[in-house]
Amino acid sequence: MRDFSLKSTITYKLYRQLIILFDDFLSTIGDTVIYGKDVLKFIFKRDFNMPALLEQCSRFGVSSLPITLSIVGMTAIIVSMQVAGEMVKQGAGNYVGMLVAILIIREAGIIMSGFAIISMIGSSIASEIATMRVTEQIDAIQVLKVNPIRYLFVPRVLSGTLMMPPVLVIASLVGIIGGGVAAHLASGLSYRAYFESVWSGIYMKDMNVALLKAIVFGFTIALISCVCGYNANGGARGVGIATTKAVVWSFVAIVLWDLVFSIIFFF
Amino acid sequence: MSIEVKNLTKKFNKKTVIKDISFKVNSGEILAIVGFSGSGKSTVLKLICGLIEKDSGIIKTSGDIAMVFQYSALIDSLNVEDNIAFALKERKDLRKKYTNEEIKQIVKEKLNLVGLSGIENKFPSELSGGMQKRVSFARAIVTSPNIILYDEPTAGLDPVSSTLIEDYIVRLKEETNAASIVVTHQMSTIMRTADKIIMLYNGDVVFTGTPQDLMKQDTPYTKQFVTASLDGPMKMLQG
Repeated sequence: MRDFSLKSTITYKLYRQLIILFDDFLSTIGDTVIYGKDVLKFIFKRDFNMPALLEQCSRFGVSSLPITLSIVGMTAIIVSMQVAGEMVKQGAGNYVGMLVAILIIREAGIIMSGFAIISMIGSSIASEIATMRVTEQIDAIQVLKVNPIRYLFVPRVLSGTLMMPPVLVIASLVGIIGGGVAAHLASGLSYRAYFESVWSGIYMKDMNVALLKAIVFGFTIALISCVCGYNANGGARGVGIATTKAVVWSFVAIVLWDLVFSIIFFF
Repeated sequence: MSIEVKNLTKKFNKKTVIKDISFKVNSGEILAIVGFSGSGKSTVLKLICGLIEKDSGIIKTSGDIAMVFQYSALIDSLNVEDNIAFALKERKDLRKKYTNEEIKQIVKEKLNLVGLSGIENKFPSELSGGMQKRVSFARAIVTSPNIILYDEPTAGLDPVSSTLIEDYIVRLKEETNAASIVVTHQMSTIMRTADKIIMLYNGDVVFTGTPQDLMKQDTPYTKQFVTASLDGPMKMLQG
């Protein structure tokens, strides 16, 4: 017999799933705030392991650079190829560089870098810490009376905070240069005209906001990834769930941060 | 007195997994906690070392506690030397106490104590299960603990490696005079290491005595455990 109860409806199941997701997001944010306070305490007391920090900086900065450059560079090239021809035809070729620069510096550079770093570094942090959790390595750390927040979180979160701005600067530069090459090839726009236009589209405020966003995004991505890994339970499935949560909630968090920054600085 | 547990109770999701249990372990003594899987043995260890919070009861311990985990729980990103020296390098009260040279010397001594040497630069994934277990012993005793907890120390090992591990448990007790608790369900480990035994079933203590008392099989619980019989008061599939 078919089940016509409320609980069997798609709408009910959808609402239920949304409530579960929202609850999970709130609990992750709550834990992130709690652990974030501890992490900041260690950072301000300069109580961290320097070799571990350098190792994580290399992972966050150097390892993530190729994929971040590719994604930001491609985005700039695609935008430039699509708009340059049309703008040159309409006599607005002098604005192509400005458009690409504003797009990359204000929004696309940081968001695309964030997405690349979440996919590559955030997921790897979460799965590493989650594996340590399910194989009792974190229990062992606690029994040895070593603070797991200081040992696991601080080097990763601090490296994210420190390395995201240089990654963004390099990625943005590559994006703007790539956009110029694409505009030249697609519409014959001269490099001189493009870069003069870029220069007129760069504002100090935009660069400062972008760097501030990079610091906040780097901190947030690394912290959420650590928290999701740390709260993992179960076996291999738990590691998978923790990694998925880290990626999804980091995406959501940086988009929310982006909205907050837009309201504060551009509304 | 090194460990004293009184009326310890722990619930998970309204299910009582440890029911009002009490026992004492003196320095230089090994208590084996035995019982079938799911009887709450490992939970007792986690309660003693503070990994989980008790609901009620008293746990009195004196001095440092070390634990040897069922699957060694070595930190897989660190080599053997860094694993053993982990507490000396990372623990707040110890990290400035020793120079690098002193730490190297301590690691070497502890590795010799568990019959391993020259493997300082190897990573856990390069070691056999038995070797990993011995490295985790060395890591546990690096801070000279007064209490050592072993969670199924011979699980998954071949009989010869198990004998080796059992010998090290006794040897570490003699060398450190620590109070030790061994959670196990292997008869060889019980007979070769334990001074006294408690048997848990569904979170209750159903037997207390010595290994010799256990072998007498004069209660339905000890009889079922020693003969590994399906018939008896302990049912394997508990809801």
